[in-house]
Amino acid sequence: MPAQGDDVAQIGVTLRPHRAYAAVVHGATVRAVEPVAPARTDLEGVIAAAVGVALRAAPGGAGAVTVDLAPLLLDTLVRPEAEVPPVAAVRIVPRAATDPALARSPAELVERRIARRWTVSGGHDLLGNELAPLDGEGLALLCEELAGTGIRHVAVVAAGSQARPAHEREVADAVLAAVPGARISVASDYGGQGLVARETTVVLDCALTALTERVLDRCERTLARLPGSLELRVARGDGGYSTPSRIRVTPVVAFGATEALELCGAAHLAGLDDCRVLLTHDGRALAGEVRHGLAAVRPDEPAGIGTELVVPTAVLTPEPPARPGDDVPVIRPREGPSLLACVGAAISRPASWLDEVAFIESGAELDRVRRDAEERATAMVMANGAAPGTTHVAEISTVAVPYSPSGTVRVRVRVAGLPDTSLARR
Amino acid sequence: MTSVSGYVGASSSITAEDVPALYEGAKFYSPAVGDSNKTSINSWLAGLLDRNGPVPLLRVESLPPETPCVSVCVIGSGSAMSDLPPAGDEFELAVRQIERLQQITFGAIYPLAAATISALVAVVTAAQLRVPLLDADGMGRAFALIHHTAMHLSGVSPTPLAAVGPTGESVLIEVPAGPRADRMLRANVDTVGGWAALAAYPTTAGVLRRAALPGTMSRIANVGRLLLDRTDPDRLVTRLGAITGCRRLARGRIAELEHLSRPSDVTIPAHPSSLVVDEVGGLGRQLRIELRSEIVAVFADGALIAGAPDLMCLLDVSRGTLATLDSLEPGDLIDVLVTPADAVWYSPAGIEMVGMGSHGIPLVHPRRR
Repeated sequence: MPAQGDDVAQIGVTLRPHRAYAAVVHGATVRAVEPVAPARTDLEGVIAAAVGVALRAAPGGAGAVTVDLAPLLLDTLVRPEAEVPPVAAVRIVPRAATDPALARSPAELVERRIARRWTVSGGHDLLGNELAPLDGEGLALLCEELAGTGIRHVAVVAAGSQARPAHEREVADAVLAAVPGARISVASDYGGQGLVARETTVVLDCALTALTERVLDRCERTLARLPGSLELRVARGDGGYSTPSRIRVTPVVAFGATEALELCGAAHLAGLDDCRVLLTHDGRALAGEVRHGLAAVRPDEPAGIGTELVVPTAVLTPEPPARPGDDVPVIRPREGPSLLACVGAAISRPASWLDEVAFIESGAELDRVRRDAEERATAMVMANGAAPGTTHVAEISTVAVPYSPSGTVRVRVRVAGLPDTSLARR
Repeated sequence: MTSVSGYVGASSSITAEDVPALYEGAKFYSPAVGDSNKTSINSWLAGLLDRNGPVPLLRVESLPPETPCVSVCVIGSGSAMSDLPPAGDEFELAVRQIERLQQITFGAIYPLAAATISALVAVVTAAQLRVPLLDADGMGRAFALIHHTAMHLSGVSPTPLAAVGPTGESVLIEVPAGPRADRMLRANVDTVGGWAALAAYPTTAGVLRRAALPGTMSRIANVGRLLLDRTDPDRLVTRLGAITGCRRLARGRIAELEHLSRPSDVTIPAHPSSLVVDEVGGLGRQLRIELRSEIVAVFADGALIAGAPDLMCLLDVSRGTLATLDSLEPGDLIDVLVTPADAVWYSPAGIEMVGMGSHGIPLVHPRRR
């Protein structure tokens, strides 16, 4: 069994392109980890050094290591020469785009990862009504052509699949039959709004799979060599964490975690649950918020991508020179961004996020829709590593969708929990 | 293309560089839907302007009065359009349908509403058809129904109109009375995916000189440039006030979102909902903001302080950007802004059509007390 309780320290690690950083958090005490030569500053060396620090800091040693993969993932995406598997993108919409700009991603960084595109006629509206039957002939042709390309990573997005994923699943099944062993990412796994944002999410999911697998393999091998029973966790874009097995199948969820971790780390060091955090990135003054101990996040355009994703991240905004009427404390941390991210990772909690559209005709139906969303988000947070009985709805909002038929609502739920320490490596 | 002089401040055309400002300004005049397809739409329009060249932006008076003109807009849900983006030819096809029916060629395009995505698709259509865009529109903001226009108040019929959906399917509608057109359209819009490209109000430049609201496209470009500056909220409100007349009603945190909070008239999209905001600083009032597809009224401690046809919008103070109605969350710190609408909407006919009474709030407008 893993070490647990107040006697245990937690380790946060952030992986930068050229070195790793770590911090050990034990109660209110935070220790930055600096490997001493000849120890290495790569992932293995820093984790080993951190475990040593934890053993000296807490009687029970280290309980878990939470790793922030985001800087490594972004660095890989932005470098054209980085080794990323080619991705096939399949759009399922009633008809193909007639304008070249609408047929591709608006972000060059995303489009260059797409080796081949197909459009198959099909799709549903936001409430799940079929707009066009799935084009069987087009699907057969796609499978035949795809099998000949050697591409093994396939991103599939269908209009309306958040409400009715049938067409996406049919395409995924056909692709898997044509290309056994293909790694397929379907947009309905992520919910959210906007075909292009949903497509970007699954394309990045495919593109990041191999790298994520390699890094998590290294992490797990490192922990296996170290004494004790350490649990590996992976930081999410919303500042929470998930299990390595979940991140292996949904790597895009780890994208953009660093900013949320920095915010939470700064709030923790200041001893605040609610605050506005002022940070400096590359000489630019930026701001973000922490509410009830969680970073304020939403689906947006993460820095460096050039288009929107449907997974939530803490998007930092330019810091205004002053803001009269602040009703929360404003903090400007003295610690550097790496240490803040490590502290944020060490104290992170399992989290889940759900964003979907529903239709209601009465208050009772709205209550049922909200309850259903809360229950599913709670199941997701348990799968992400929360202990039974510790989950709570951190945020929920239901808004009427403007200019849609009366009764159409957008439901967003964020659930957090406390770590399930029984998940540690045996 | 007609060769006449243009006008938008010091500029006479819309180029790819103007697209981000147009997008932000259009959102100010209808902050309903978020940015989930912003980069895609902006990339589409910028690409068109790069390929086909800048679109001339003209005052209505600069065109010969007999020039045939037609308006375009997106009818339906921005969220639906985000999830099912245009193929790209819908707006051009809608205009061509009316041209075929009337056996004319339009010499200019104008936006039905110089707000939300509808402002941008008017530029798209002008670029595709290689005709000028008029610096005028029918609403000066966005209202829910297609006959909520200055043209309708001036007796111009919205029909014949054509709507083309992202499925490629289309409808052509002719009705004797404008308000019937919207009701006939809605069912079709839902069937083709929740949104459609609409071409309507075919008329002439001479008629638009008296029936359309002038200067509204150049206005959103100017507002958008201010919003792109990302200055601090207080300075931004002051600057916006200088060119739009807007002012801040209050600053506060969203405490609650309520649904089905008023009796629903299903002929108007989006059911009634309400926002409760606790004022931060100031008088510490509790605001109640009544929503439909737009904000329709603001109460402070129970007293009405702004209402349709005023344009009310929310500024996300933490992010320095507009807060759209589809992405509000409890805990958000917002500025509640109010901007006077164009004067035509405060006339008795205007108030009757788009005032608070049309949303089930039969109170006297604060500007009329």
